[in-house]
Parts: sequence; structure tokens; C-alpha cells
Amino acid sequence: MDFDTRVLHRELAELLRWERRKRREQILSEVLFYALLAALVALPLHGWLPAHVLRWFIPALFIAALAPVFLIRRRWQPLHSLRALARLDKTLRLEERAITAWELLERKETGGTALLVLKQASEKIHPGAARALFPRSGNWQAYVALPLFVLWFAMVWFDVELRFGRGLPAPATLAHQIREFSRELQEKAKSDGLRESLRWGRELEKAAQKGIEAQSGDEPFKRELAGIAKKMETARLPAADRHQGFRAETEQNLKDLKAEVEAARDLLNFSEGAKGAQGSGQKWLERLAALPQLKKQFDPQLQGRSLGENELRSYLDKLNDQVTRELDRRTVLDAQQFLEQLTKQGKGEKGETEARLAGRGEQQRPTDGEKAKTKGHLPGDEPGRREDVFAAPPQLPAAAATQLKGLLAEGASSGMAFKGKPSPGKSEISQDEVVATYRRQAEAELEAEQVPESLKDIIKHYFLSLGMGEEKKSTMSDQQPVER
Amino acid sequence: MMEAVAQVEERMDSARRSFEALKAEMARVIVGHGELIEQVFIALVCGGHCLLEGVPGLGKTLMVRSFGEVLSLSFSRIQFTPDLMPADITGTNVLTDDPSGRKIFDFQRGPVFAHIVLADEINRATPKTQSALLEAMQEQSVTVGGKLHRLENPFIVLATQNPIEMEGTYPLPEAQVDRFFFKLVLHYPSREELGRIADLTTAAPLAELREVLDAAAILLMRQWVREVPLAEVVKDYAVRLVLATHGRQQGGTGAAPLAEKYVLYGSSPRGLQSLILAAKARALFAGRPNVAFDDIRAMLPPSLRHRLILNLEADAEGVGTDKILAQVLEQVPEVP
Repeated sequence: MDFDTRVLHRELAELLRWERRKRREQILSEVLFYALLAALVALPLHGWLPAHVLRWFIPALFIAALAPVFLIRRRWQPLHSLRALARLDKTLRLEERAITAWELLERKETGGTALLVLKQASEKIHPGAARALFPRSGNWQAYVALPLFVLWFAMVWFDVELRFGRGLPAPATLAHQIREFSRELQEKAKSDGLRESLRWGRELEKAAQKGIEAQSGDEPFKRELAGIAKKMETARLPAADRHQGFRAETEQNLKDLKAEVEAARDLLNFSEGAKGAQGSGQKWLERLAALPQLKKQFDPQLQGRSLGENELRSYLDKLNDQVTRELDRRTVLDAQQFLEQLTKQGKGEKGETEARLAGRGEQQRPTDGEKAKTKGHLPGDEPGRREDVFAAPPQLPAAAATQLKGLLAEGASSGMAFKGKPSPGKSEISQDEVVATYRRQAEAELEAEQVPESLKDIIKHYFLSLGMGEEKKSTMSDQQPVER
Repeated sequence: MMEAVAQVEERMDSARRSFEALKAEMARVIVGHGELIEQVFIALVCGGHCLLEGVPGLGKTLMVRSFGEVLSLSFSRIQFTPDLMPADITGTNVLTDDPSGRKIFDFQRGPVFAHIVLADEINRATPKTQSALLEAMQEQSVTVGGKLHRLENPFIVLATQNPIEMEGTYPLPEAQVDRFFFKLVLHYPSREELGRIADLTTAAPLAELREVLDAAAILLMRQWVREVPLAEVVKDYAVRLVLATHGRQQGGTGAAPLAEKYVLYGSSPRGLQSLILAAKARALFAGRPNVAFDDIRAMLPPSLRHRLILNLEADAEGVGTDKILAQVLEQVPEVP
């Protein structure tokens, strides 16, 4: 009998140990769930962490904070033992023999009736019954914890940036802003063939990326930016040879000039390729001179004398190179100024916005109560209303691609991309540029023999006539914009 | 140790067999009321008294008389009427001659001097007469002429009362009601039971009942009942049930909203004693050496239904104690 009571005591104690263990596991799974939940909620606060790598330790931090609270508040108590024993009674239909037996064992009762209770209980409780009868059953927090962990891990791994506030497209840190700026700069440089600008754009992007990954805050990054701005200043391209003429020109005029030079070179190439085409170099020069910006450059150069075709070609190449270099220089200068402004007065949203606009060569629009004098037709310019700079209609960046589409008919079709010059509410492109582009494509089509033989001459004459018509028009107006 | 266990097993088996035999014997003359017979027997073994309530003709008197026959115990019946005097119950001193011719007072024992006393229609006697039973029920003795007279052991009062015909009745005082171990309610028999009653009582004379238990056996059982172990958690369940019958103002738990609303005074501690003792007896007769939650649940209504004092609102809305106790059972968990 003694043996039986010892076995029974061991079995009941094992049941209680098992239940305690399950309870601890449940508590820890709850702690894990709430810690992951808290870590997810705290994602937008990652920006305030002193080091980037610390974000991986946030759940551990929450676990360390929550676990003692949970484990103490929900610690095992005698009542839990009673519940476990009552559950055993219910499961085995012991009619409270187990719970009574446990008490009798604790009190070490040896009366006849007490021993009978112990005997009857030990007959029904088999060794290892506890684990078999009450296997682990995960609470819902345990089931949710894994997907929650995967979600948190993915968000941290892929650096998903959640921030407070809504509708703020602006990046949170200076490094993000610089990365955005550098990408725009590179895009512009690529489209205009600005090598130096492209190089600086890439360098800036590298620095920004490093700053984002380091999460070292704005101040150290500003110092790095200042260094880059200094390097830019040192390595800045010298002004173009014809800088005296270009210095006075606006960026827009320079871009027009570049487009006209390209058109002129195309015209020159076309005349060379066209057999029996009429006109000498002088005659072509007259046509080229009809282009307003180009004419302005030609007049002091020619001084009444005529140029041969080769001379003209060489001159145009040189002019193109100079214009590109000047544009490149100005872009780098803009970028440098942008960086300097950021490093000096980059504190606060307004300052940053100003710096951004400076980097794009734009003026800031009027705000509080200041009525716009030149752009009053734009929405959001009413007096007394503060206009959110980000809520303004999107403005096309310089040299953004503009797609002109015609009606599609049967057969093959082709499209053409134009880079419009942005101005508030519209973007425009000169007719000369459009014509030149069309002509180039027509030539390509002709060479590729995608045009019927009988129509080739007609197409050539058509574009030549357009060029001549332009000469006449130029006397009336310098430029005919095509609006989009 | 094994011998002790075997001894306990044997006596438990003996108690269970005696109980089964008693029920079988009673079933020969009483149709239905199996649960009621069990509860009366439990009250007897626990040394308690029962108040039986039921409309006339349900076999209350027959059942009590049959108990006396089956248990081989002396039985007396007192028909309570308004003119019944206390001395008619307890007995009185009468002047007689002794063998030497001297005049002496001799105590003539009243009908209360029996093992089983049937107090029929107890609420028809005056409170003064009803209270004559108080001492007998509580102390198991009567005092007449300054002299204490011990009653038989075992002693059980089985009082009946009619819930209708309240005209000319004297409701039992609360103190006296509280002294009843159980209040048992006899319900009207079912269709099948009625048919069997007709067969039993109209075809042939009532069967002669066999004695299955004597006074000594009952007293032994009374001892065994008290030895049945009761786990703390089960006891705590009984305590919480009793406390749930009290409103919060009386220190109750307020677990049962009906009790909170309709109970003026909840169960007395005597109710808890009855409940636990009855649960122990039930476990013994079930052949179980320990008290289960089920025993407590089963014994709650007969133990407490007469101990709840309801307010006027309950009376007006027809809410009875059984309904309140059912809710108490529903609301109080076995393990908190």
C-alpha cells in the first residue's frame, strides 16, 4: 500500500509539473506574440535608433521587458494545482478522487477511508497519464506568433519604412532626400549627355545610400555632403570657351541652342546624303542661320563671309560640345549650391524645400498670404492660405520625356519621344526640334527600306520643304512652340 | 493497512447494500418518490429531521409509516390540530398511587418518545405546540416538570405540511424551520405511477414490509458518514454555494442575481452543515469513499430551500427558492 501511495504521489506531482510547464510555455508564447506586435507597432520609430543594427534587437527588448511581468503576474498558484487535479478527475471520471487523494497525501492521512480513496485513485491513474491525457495545446497567440514574426522579419529585412503622418512623400532623412535628388540628377544628366553631372550624381547616390544604411543621423551626413560640395567646387568645369556669350544666356536658351545645333547638324548630314540636292554650303548656312539661337552665335563668327561644309560641320561640333559643357557646368553648380544650402540651412522643412528648389533652379512659390503675381492662375495661390508644396500639381522636371501620339491606323506604327521644357501648367518644345526629329526618323525609315520606293522622294521633299518653310517663318517669329 | 482498507470497503459495501435493500422494500408500497426515500434515509443517517411538503394524498404518511416498519424502529404519529397542547406531544406528569399507596407524579411519555415521529400537518398546531418539538428536535430530549427525559436514538421527526389550505394554519417560525435537516417536496405522480398506485392499493391488501435495518445499524452508519473524507476544494465549493444565497449586503458573493434580488436572508451555517453531511452520506451510499462535487450539487436544494427567506417581491413575482438555488448552482464554479 505504501508503494501505491508513493506511485500515486509521483504521478500527481508529475501532472502538476507538466501543467506548470505548459502554463509557462503558454505565457512565453503570449509574451512573444505581444513583443512581436509591439515591435511591429514600433517600426516607425526605427529612425530614432542610434544604430541601424539595433532594430533587430527590438523584439528581444520587448520580450525582456514583458516576460518578467507576465511570469510574475500569472505565476503558478495553489489554485492552479486544484484546477489541474479537477480536470484530471473530470477526464478520468474519478469523482474527485484525485483531488481528494492529493490532499490526503499532502496531509499524510493514514485512516482506513483515506487509504481507500488513495487506492481507488491509484487504480485509475496510470503512469504517464498526465502527458497522454493533457497534451500541449497552443493558444491562439502561439499560432499567430509565427506569421507575426515572419511579417516583422520581412519588414525589417526589406527595410520597409513606415513613418508617422500621412501623405508625406518626402523622405524622412537627409540621406533619403539626397538619394532622390541624385537619381533625378543622373536622369537629367543621362538625357542631356552631361558627363560630369552624371558622375557627381552617382557619387551622391553612393554617399546617400551609405548614409541610409549607416542610420547615423543627419549631422554626420551633412558633414559628408559638405565634403562632396567642396570637391565639386574644386573639380568644377571651367566656363566654356565662349563663356562670354554663354554666361549671359539662360539655361533655357542654352538648351534651345543645343537643340538647334543638333538640328543643324542633322540638316547638314541630310544634304550630304541626298544626291543631287540643291544648294551649296553657303545656302545651307543661310538655312541654319534661320534658327534663332544658332543665328545669334553665327553672326559674330561669320561677319559676312561664307563657310564651307566641312568648316561648318566642325564649327557645329565645337559649338555643341561647348554648349553641353556649359550646361554640365551649370548643372554641377546647381547641385553644389543645393548641397551647400542643405548643409547650412537644411534644418526644418521649409529650409529643405527651399534648398530643393534651388537645386532645381526654381524659385519658391509664394506662401502665407502672399498673392502670386506671376502664377496667380495656379490652384492654391489664394491669399491667406498656406499652400502645401507637396500638394501642388506635379511639375515636370526639366527634359522630362513627353510622348506625342498620333491616331493608329493599319500597319506598322512608330512613336517618338520629345523632351519638353517645363513651365508652370505646361511643357513646350520648339517646332525646329520636332521637325528635325521627325526628319531623322524619316531618314531612318527610308534607309531601313520600310517605305515604298515610290514614296521615298515624296517624303524627302516634304521634309526639305518644311525646312524651307521654316526659313520663311523665321522672319515672322523666332520660334513656334508646340504645346502639350 | 490493507486490512483497514478492506474493512472500510466492507462497511461501505454493507451500507450500500442496506440502502439498496431499503429502497427495494419501500418500493413495494411506495410508488415513485425514489429520490425522496433516499433523502429521508440520508436525513435519518445524518441525524436530521425532514419537513415534507405536498398536497394531500401523495403518500406522505404512508411513506413515513413504512419507514418505521422497514427500519425496525418505533413509530408514532401526531396529528397536529389547533387545540393540540404541548403536553400532548411531550407527555405529562400524572398523579398516581405507588405500590405502597402513596400519591406520586408519574411521567406519562408522549408520542414524541419514538424513533420516528410523524408530525402530520404540523402547521395546523399553534406556535406554542409547534415549539414543543423544538427541544426534542434540537437536543433530542424533553423537559417536563423540571426533569429531563432523553428521547430514543436514532430519533427523527418527519413533519408534513400542506402548501394549500392556508386558512387556520400557523406558519412555522423560521427558527423551527431551520432545525429541519431537509425540506422535501412531494410532486404529483406521473401517469405510469398513478396506474401502479391504483394496482397496489385497490387489487390486494398492502404487502407486509420486511425489516432490513435496525437502530444499531443506523447508528453505525451515522458514524461512518462522518468519516468520509471531504477535499478542501469540495468544501470550499459548498461554502461558496451557501454564500451565493446571500445578497451582497449580507456578506454574500452576489454570484446569483436572483438571490441578490429576491433573498432577504440567505442560508444559515446550519444549512452548510446539512449540505456537507448529506453529501457525505450520499457518497457513502453510492459506495464512494470521498465526497464529489456532484454530491454537493444533489444535496443543495433539500438542504437549503427552507433556509432562504425571500422578500415580498419574490412572493409577488412567484419566484421560489428552488429557482434561486438552480441559478446559484449554475453560477458558482466548482473550482474558482
